[in-house]
Amino acid sequence: MSITTAELGAKTALGPKREGPLVGLARMLGPDHRLGYLFILPTVVLVLALVAYPFCYAIYLSLTRKYVGVPPVFVGFDNYVKLTFDGFFQRAVINSFIFTFGSVAVKLVLGMVMALVLTSGIRFRSFWTGVLLIPWVAPTVVSALNFLWIFDYSLGVLNYMLVKVFHLLPQGVGWLSEPGTAMASVIGVNIWRGFPFFGISFLAGLRSIPVEMYEAAAVDGAGPLLRFRHVTLPGIRNILIIVMLLSTIWTFNDFQIVYILTKGGPGGATQVLPVFTYEIAFGAQRLGEAIAVALYMLPALAAVIIVLARYMRQGRSR
Amino acid sequence: MDSRLKDLAEKLDAGLIARREFLRRAAVVTGGTAVGLQTLSKMAGAQSQTKVRVWLFKSFVTAGNDVLEKQIQNWAKDRKVTAEIDWATFGDREQKFVAAIEAGNPPDIAEMQILGPMRYKAALRDVSKVAGDIAAARGGMLPFADRSMKLDGKYYGVPRYSMTTVFYIRKDIMGAKGLKPPTVYDPGVVEFAKKTQDVSKGLYGFGQTLNRSDDGNGFMQNILWNYGGGSWDKDGKPALATTFHDQNLKALQFAVDTITKHKIQPPGVMGWTDVSNNEAFMAGNLVTTNNGASLYYAMVAKKHELASKTLLVLTPGGPAGSFVGSSCYNWGIFQKSKYADLGEDMIRYLEDEERFAEYMKVSVGQAGPVYKKRTEDPYWKSDPNFTAIMQNIIRSVPTGYPGPVTPAAVEVYAQNTLTDMAGRVATAGLSPEAALKEAHARVEEIYKARRS
Repeated sequence: MSITTAELGAKTALGPKREGPLVGLARMLGPDHRLGYLFILPTVVLVLALVAYPFCYAIYLSLTRKYVGVPPVFVGFDNYVKLTFDGFFQRAVINSFIFTFGSVAVKLVLGMVMALVLTSGIRFRSFWTGVLLIPWVAPTVVSALNFLWIFDYSLGVLNYMLVKVFHLLPQGVGWLSEPGTAMASVIGVNIWRGFPFFGISFLAGLRSIPVEMYEAAAVDGAGPLLRFRHVTLPGIRNILIIVMLLSTIWTFNDFQIVYILTKGGPGGATQVLPVFTYEIAFGAQRLGEAIAVALYMLPALAAVIIVLARYMRQGRSR
Repeated sequence: MDSRLKDLAEKLDAGLIARREFLRRAAVVTGGTAVGLQTLSKMAGAQSQTKVRVWLFKSFVTAGNDVLEKQIQNWAKDRKVTAEIDWATFGDREQKFVAAIEAGNPPDIAEMQILGPMRYKAALRDVSKVAGDIAAARGGMLPFADRSMKLDGKYYGVPRYSMTTVFYIRKDIMGAKGLKPPTVYDPGVVEFAKKTQDVSKGLYGFGQTLNRSDDGNGFMQNILWNYGGGSWDKDGKPALATTFHDQNLKALQFAVDTITKHKIQPPGVMGWTDVSNNEAFMAGNLVTTNNGASLYYAMVAKKHELASKTLLVLTPGGPAGSFVGSSCYNWGIFQKSKYADLGEDMIRYLEDEERFAEYMKVSVGQAGPVYKKRTEDPYWKSDPNFTAIMQNIIRSVPTGYPGPVTPAAVEVYAQNTLTDMAGRVATAGLSPEAALKEAHARVEEIYKARRS
């Protein structure tokens, strides 16, 4: 059968038959593409069941008045409005920020020092790496209980050392009994526990920086500080951001250390949001309000994560 | 990995079978295994005994725990059922209850603390019949136990025993100074402490934390009552900075003064937890302290040198008298239980006088009576220190006093409202007046939330 030029032109103008996105996907996945859906189904179900459903249900509960054993009653944003003007909640928010940023800042410095020392020509490097990881490896509950004893005024080892062994103080310090020292103590324990994570992450980052870069900088006349500023810091920039981000989230949600050491006392001086949530949930048994406390800071934390993630992406594309 | 699956995988790798064939055969193998396992599980279930889930309170008095467990297992053997026992103690019991109730999987029967019936009323079964029978056969319940278990005319807990607080004194030090036990805090305990303490040797006259703890909350509640105050009026309405403003202000001032003005307490006392005063007393650093019988049990059980040098007396009072709140441990049966009858049967079995006596005697004063006839047991005369325990239990008043036990009263206690009030004055520099008003606002807020 012959075809005229006009017909050919018309067919060419129409072009090939257009494919939908699913057809294209099916072609890409091959003849067994239907099986692909089957394979990802468990993951989808798990994510929906273990992440999406509990999260959505928590949001719903935060909009209800919910007591233990009693069905929830929808109250809209009442819990959030009430919390906004609640002095105890406000104090918990302030305490949480002091606790989090106080801890993360010091962990950052200590972690960097740890990484720099471990990349220097120190002897028994592996041994020291292991020793410095102990706080991170030890269970938090065990560490916190040990510190509870260490900080005890009359029976604790810290006051004993300061007063009786080294004679640095005329009398012991009530580490957990005064607002200032109690906050400093819980921050101190969090730093002790968390700085190895910073250190070991930075260590991994430092080892990925080529030695030639340091050599080139040295040839250009850069001293140790300049090399640190212009070679080391840019080299571990992404790790630094990720570690700070993770640590901020973990520290903000840290419950065990504060609860075991002070239970939020004395007089609520170390009451941070996780302890406040716990108290509202299990002490007061107001579950809706407790979840509202837990979710209240979520937008702020999410914003920090988004900003940092965007910043990192920009850094990569540069 | 199942050997059949491994075999199929190897065949697939070797190109002996097609991918579709592999998937088909693998589905047959895994599906067949799943069906087989389910069938076996059903067969095993059909053969198992009735299983009654029992949650118990893990007391510091370990000998009592052992006796209770043994008695429950004997009951289970006798009734040809399985008793699945789980334990929880001070720090984790309420969380377990909340989680189990919300998950719709509570135990059949549980040993609860005094606030349990009020807290979990919505999930508990009415046990008026068994509670009434047991109480009637024992001369009735003590008033504080009755008021704590009975809500809206129904019993949601069957009382078992009472754990109370008493005042511990180092009688060797007291004797050496020629003193007598104080009966009031101000000036009694203050002067007693000042005369007996020796700060240079680390010995303090009084050890009572105002920090967030059961010890701190109990003391603050008692001291408000001792001064004629309290958090609630007789109708159950907030009274902290209204009806009882003046009384509460004086009580709060005194509590803080023991630390800041009289200096009869160890410097770190505001950082104490529930065990701190026990440790300090046993270490010989305190002349007096308030504590439950568990401290005495620990000293007696360990044959501690201070056991024979310790005197237990009634909790000191204040201008309005001497008040003390005691706990009332009790049995609750959950609505979801399919074995409510077995639960009631177990309660009757355990509360049999002979069995309870066995438990009581190994508990060294911690298992105090909650029924009138049990107060007459000769055991309570076997040790002079038991007199104070008995007297404190008999005169106990419940949380919410002088009003009724309400959800709001329970919550104010559980939220450390009173210890925070004291802590704000003792450590944060707030005036007692300001702290009282701050705490009152909290009580009002809880009251309104619970009413709505």
